[in-house]
Order: sequence, then C-alpha cells, then structure tokens
Amino acid sequence: MTAESWARLSSDAFNVALFSYIAAMVTSFAYLAFRKERLHTVATVIGVVGLVANGVSIVTRGIAAGRTPWGNMYEYSSLITFLVVLGYLWLIEGRAKVRTIGGFVYGMAVLTMAMAVSFFYVGPTALMPALNSYWRQIHVTSMIVASSLLGIGCLLTIVYLIKAPAERRALERMRGSVPPPIMGGAGVETSDPSAPPDYAGGADEPVGSAATSRKISLPPSATLDALAYRFIRFGFPVWTFGVICGAIWAQQTWGRYWGWDPKETWSFITWVIFAGYLHARATAGWKGTRAAIVALVGFVSLLVTYYAVNLWIAGLHTYAT
Amino acid sequence: MRTAIILLLMLAAAAVVGSLIPQIPNSPQRVAAYQIDHPVWGRFFQAAGFFDVFGSWWFALITTLLFVSLIACLIPRSRAMIRAARARPIHARELDAFPSFAERAVALEPEAAAAGAAAALRRKRYRVELDARGGSVAAEKGALREIGSLAFHWAFLLLLIAVIIGKGTGYVGHATIVEGYGWTDARFNYDGDLRTGRFFGGGFSGTQIQLQDFQDDFQTSGIPMDFRSELTLSGPDGASEQADVRINHPVVFNGIRIFQFGFGWAPMVQIHRGDRVLFDGPVVLGQTTPPGGNPLAQPWQGFVKLPTLRPQVAVAIRLYPDAAAYFRSLATGVAQPMTEANAPFMEYEVWQGKLLDNSLASLDTRFMHRTASGLIGKGWTVDATRGCVISGTSGAIPASLANVTCPDGGGPAALTMAFPDLRQYTTLQISHDVTVPWVLAAAILIVLGLLPALYVSRRKVWVRARPDGMGSVLQVGGFALQRKDRFDEEFASLVEAVTSAAGGAPSRASLEVSP
Repeated sequence: MTAESWARLSSDAFNVALFSYIAAMVTSFAYLAFRKERLHTVATVIGVVGLVANGVSIVTRGIAAGRTPWGNMYEYSSLITFLVVLGYLWLIEGRAKVRTIGGFVYGMAVLTMAMAVSFFYVGPTALMPALNSYWRQIHVTSMIVASSLLGIGCLLTIVYLIKAPAERRALERMRGSVPPPIMGGAGVETSDPSAPPDYAGGADEPVGSAATSRKISLPPSATLDALAYRFIRFGFPVWTFGVICGAIWAQQTWGRYWGWDPKETWSFITWVIFAGYLHARATAGWKGTRAAIVALVGFVSLLVTYYAVNLWIAGLHTYAT
Repeated sequence: MRTAIILLLMLAAAAVVGSLIPQIPNSPQRVAAYQIDHPVWGRFFQAAGFFDVFGSWWFALITTLLFVSLIACLIPRSRAMIRAARARPIHARELDAFPSFAERAVALEPEAAAAGAAAALRRKRYRVELDARGGSVAAEKGALREIGSLAFHWAFLLLLIAVIIGKGTGYVGHATIVEGYGWTDARFNYDGDLRTGRFFGGGFSGTQIQLQDFQDDFQTSGIPMDFRSELTLSGPDGASEQADVRINHPVVFNGIRIFQFGFGWAPMVQIHRGDRVLFDGPVVLGQTTPPGGNPLAQPWQGFVKLPTLRPQVAVAIRLYPDAAAYFRSLATGVAQPMTEANAPFMEYEVWQGKLLDNSLASLDTRFMHRTASGLIGKGWTVDATRGCVISGTSGAIPASLANVTCPDGGGPAALTMAFPDLRQYTTLQISHDVTVPWVLAAAILIVLGLLPALYVSRRKVWVRARPDGMGSVLQVGGFALQRKDRFDEEFASLVEAVTSAAGGAPSRASLEVSP
C-alpha cells in the first residue's frame, strides 16, 4: 500500500472512532437516564469498536508518515483520546467496576477528537530536525500519557463535584425527615460524605440486587474521589518526568533547558497546581471539595498548556501544530 | 509547608502573567509593539516589571521567600526523619484496639513464638524490635516514604539553587559565521542579543570558531531535514579540534556549548570606485516572511552601507538563491522553495544621501534617494551608478529581465559592484552554564524521590504472645497510615507468616489442654 492509501485509511478509521465515541456517549447517557442494563452493554461494545478504530488510525498514520505517530497536535489528540478511552474501559470499568461515568469520558474523547480535526489537522509528513531526537519520543510520550491520566482524574473530579452536593442534600433530607435508625448517628457525625450503606467495595451498584429494578446513578462521591486521586497521583510523576525530558531535549536543541517559553511556562504552572492538589489531599480540612476544586483548576491549566499555548500564544512549541 | 505551597502558587501566577504578556527576553519586538499600541498599560506593565517577569525583583523575592520557607520546613522534617531512623519501633499494648487485629493459637512458647514472629516480619523487610522475654514484637515499614518526600523537596531546592547559579553566572548569545570565516567568543562579536547573568563577571572564553563548511539537507517538499556546521575550534591555550555541530547534537568545547541555531546566505560582494576598494566581503542576509508564507520561497535581504562616501551610499540587495526555482514559481504561481544555490542572482538598489543608522538589518531612506537599480548574477560585475551590466552571462535569468549591458564598459569614476561568490552562514548559539549537570542530577532526584513519596505507605505492626497451655496465643495488630485499602490483604498475609513462624497451629492435643 502507498503512503496515500495508508493516510486515507488512517483518516477513515479516525472518523469511525469519532462517530463510535459519539454513539457510545449518547448510549452511556441513555443508560444513566433510562437505567436499562442492555444500554450499558451496547455502549461498551460501541466504545470498544471506537477504541479499535482509534488504534488503527494511529498505527496507519505512523505507517503513512514513516515515523512514530506523535509529531503534531492532531496526532497527540488522537493518542490522548485513545489512552483516555483505554484507561476508562480497562481501569475504571474493568478494574474499579464503575460503569456510570462512561458518557463523560466519551464526551471528552469526542471533544478532543473534534478539536483535532477542526483546528489541528495536518497531513502525515516528516518532522523538522528540531523534533528529530529520541528525547522527543520520551518527552512527548510521557506528556501524552500524563495528560491522559490527569485528564481522566479531572473528569472523575468533575463528576465528584456534581455528585458530592447531591449526596449532601440527600443526607440532609434523610436527617430532616425520619429519625435515622442505627446508622443515622454516623451519617450525621461525618462531614465527609461516605458511601450509602447499600454500596460496597467501591462498586457503584448495590451489592447482590437483581438485574432490573435497581437504582442506577453516579458512583458514590467517595469512590469518585479515591479514583480521581489515584489517577492524578499516577499522572503527576509522569508529568514531572515528561517536563524533565522536555528540558533535556530543549538543552540539546535550543541550548537551554528552560527558557520560559509559553509551553514550558504552562507546563510548570500545571505542575505546581497538581503539586498543590497532592499537598491539599494530605492536609486536613482541604480534603474533598476544596482539593477537588484545586484539581479542577489544574485541569483548566492542563487545557491551556495543551491547547491555548498552541492556538493563541506564540512560542517555540508552535511548530508542533 | 503550606507557606511554601502558597509561594509556589504565587510563582505559578507570576508565570501566567509572564506567558500572557510579551516578554523582553523572548520577543522584544512584540513588547515594543505592545507599548506603542497600549501606551497606558504599556507604561504600567513596564513599571511593574511585567515585561520581564522572570527577571523582575518581585519574582526574585518570591523565589527567595520560597527558599526560606522550604529550608525552614525541611530542616526540622529532616531532623525528625533522622531521629525516627535511629529510634527503635515502640512496643504497644491493647493490640485489639488497632484497625487490623487477629488472634491465633500457636504451638511455640511465647518467647520462641515472639522470636519467630520477629524473624518472619524481618523477612518481610520490616524494621523489628523484639522483646523476647515479654513476648512482644514491634515492627514498622515504609520509612522510604518520608525519605523519598524529603529527597524530592531537597532536590527541588537544589534545582532552584543550581538554576539560579547557572543562569546567574552564565551567558548565552548568538554568533553568525560565514563559510571560510572565523569568530571569537568575546562580548562585541555577538549578534546583539547577548544575555549575561546577573552575577556574570565578564569572562568570555575567547574560543575561536572557524566555519569550514555549512551543509543543509532538505526534502524535495522543502522540509528541512538536517543542518550541519563543520567547525574548527581553538581555545586561547592553543588546544584545537574539528567538530560538527548539528541540530540536537551540540558540541562542548572550552567551557562553552555550541548549538546549531540558524543559517542563511551571505553573498560575497565587492564594491569599487575606480581602483579604490570600498567594500569587499560577505553580506549576511536575513529574511522577512509574510505570515503563513514559506520562508524558503522568500528572497533574502540585506544592506551594504558605505558611510565614508560623500554623499553616503547604501546598497539594498535581495538575493534569490535558486533562479530556476524562482522563475518556476513566477510562472506557476506556486511558491517554490529555494534551498540550493542554483544560478543565484540579486536585485539591487543604490541609495544616496544621508545614512541615519549603521544597522545592517534595515535602511532608513527618509534622507536618501534611489539612484539606480538592477539585477546582478553570480560572477557578474555591474555599474551601480547606471544599473547596467559590465560583464557576466545571464545563465538561468531570462535575458529580458537581465539589464542591458553597459555601452562603454563603465567609466573610471563609476561605482562598480561584483558578486563573485555565494556562501552560506551559520548562526550558532553559544552558551556558558556551569550548573547543567547539577540541574540534571536534581531533576533525576526529584523523580526518584517522588515515586516512593507517593507510593510507599507507612505501616506499623505489633505482635504479642502470651502463654496458653503448651503453646501460646498470638495477638497481631496493626495499621497503615497511607493506602489503607491495600493493607487488609497485606495484614492477612502477615498474620499467616507470623503464625507459621511461631510454630503454626498447635496440635490437637495441646488444643484440648487449652481452656
């Protein structure tokens, strides 16, 4: 096959992935709304189809360009989408058995891919010599992996911020109406909204209930919080490592490891905010909603680092578009 | 630690300002443009240091406070860590009060059971304190968490200090060298954007760099693939070596690092008035690319200024390195990259009047008027007062475009200009930074410290054995300070290991004896 036909295959697979993710998003939200178990199965199947198409698109793009397929914003976006959906299906649905936040994840995937086609599309071409270094490979790979992990973590934080107030309200209603039975006292004492009693082991479904008439809702906020923390705790060292590799590469290419170029500056800002988040998690009184807000600020900073710097702020990294 | 975090967030906020407002060190032209467009804000930003955030006094102040805060926080924490490392684990009573607790009957007597349990915990790499007579064991694990955390924070401090020393005592600038020419590392030979650190003593290395050859490779589409400067380097002490500097492959010599930064064309130009040589040498040309344009398809521009003539004279030249590609793009309307020297030619304009500045990058023609213009191909000589060709063949240039040959071969008083050769120049970035290895070491330590700081959890376990018939009853209690969800599993396996090390479950006979 020629490079052109590989490139066409890559584009087609990209579109299949995009539309699959849209369908998976709609089905996942429908699952939340109508609480039909079958909808969840359908969403997962479509999501896997999208993931495979996404993977095919990345591999064929690499073949068409004759290099590793992470050389510009379009390719980064495609890879980040792949990793986010993979991380969701494998770690969140598979390992943690949390099944109700798929719509948010696919929504993020759709937005990332749509941004990629509308703002960053370029054909598969060779790279400029400045990009021709194995430190680039390590730097870009770790930044993409870190962005995906932090992205998932922040998505979970957003769902947490939706869920936590609802839980608090439910708890207040419970306290206000019937005098709480045996567990009521505990419910009043704790300021940290803990999982309702019918949930166990981090699962978002009541244990041992029948398949049909059970309540399907967002996972308990404690689960979301713990999951978000795990993803961010994993993403932060990878981000740190990626920034350091970038500095080593910059030292080789531009003759200075740090020059307050906008992309460098924003990667530092993002690093500081997530460092703040990890400290906040360890500080009494900052757990829960406050830490979540820090993570949310970190997410905004991540988006600025990833998008705004390339779109609006001139700097050395603009050639990555 | 909270103060340090707040200061770090302030540093981040300052960095936001620095990334949104143009910065003098990164883009001085944009700063100047901003000051013209927004005079009020421009004056305010100037006064507040917002145009050079990372060099401003308040940025230095935040950094200094961050130092103080970090040190004030890290010293007591380090002391506490050393104290904790020296201290032995402390025995506990009431083990059933701990979050994880188990009780097992075992075959060995209390003293032997406790010793066995201690050995089992040691095998699990716990720090163990054994009181055999009392049948009590205290164990803990996970000191690496605090060690890692401290290593991370100290390394961050080391990084900041190394960066400040390195940037403060170092310098960075750009050197432009034409093929066949040399350059010496001294203040006035830099291109004008030399940046020296705050504590730089003025000691440039004096290294001599001779550019033997410059090579560039492009794909047919015009995408650059490689740039290589073949250099001869010689130090003031006489040491000398050949070195190739390529993109991503800098060369370190005599304390300076040399990086490939840019390149361009430098035509050799000779200007004579009669027999008098007015100019003879390379003219370093630059480019101005319209937004979205392909720089390789643009002509290269530069100026020769002759301030000693009365009236003063300036020659503006525009070089087209590849005539074939240029005329192809004129014919097809599609810009063709001019990457190779192929029948190069230049457009020139001769200006007379008063020179307002000595810049080689621009010409202010307000007090000048144009006296002649024309084309000059490589190997030609032209009469620059009349704009006609004295000698030279048109080659790849269409005859209709090449100016007419001078009728009389040029008079004696005429200004003649020759273009004997076209060379390339390289722009090298020269930097001197002594702490680069320290910064790298600190960065590695940051990552190495971060991993245990985030992933190791501190765990404490106690075992007590009290006599029970022929054997004893083991009580095992413990808790984890972090990653509590993971501890249940580990605790179960610890209880298992401790029990079997203490002789395992007692035989049926001994069980029957026990009350």
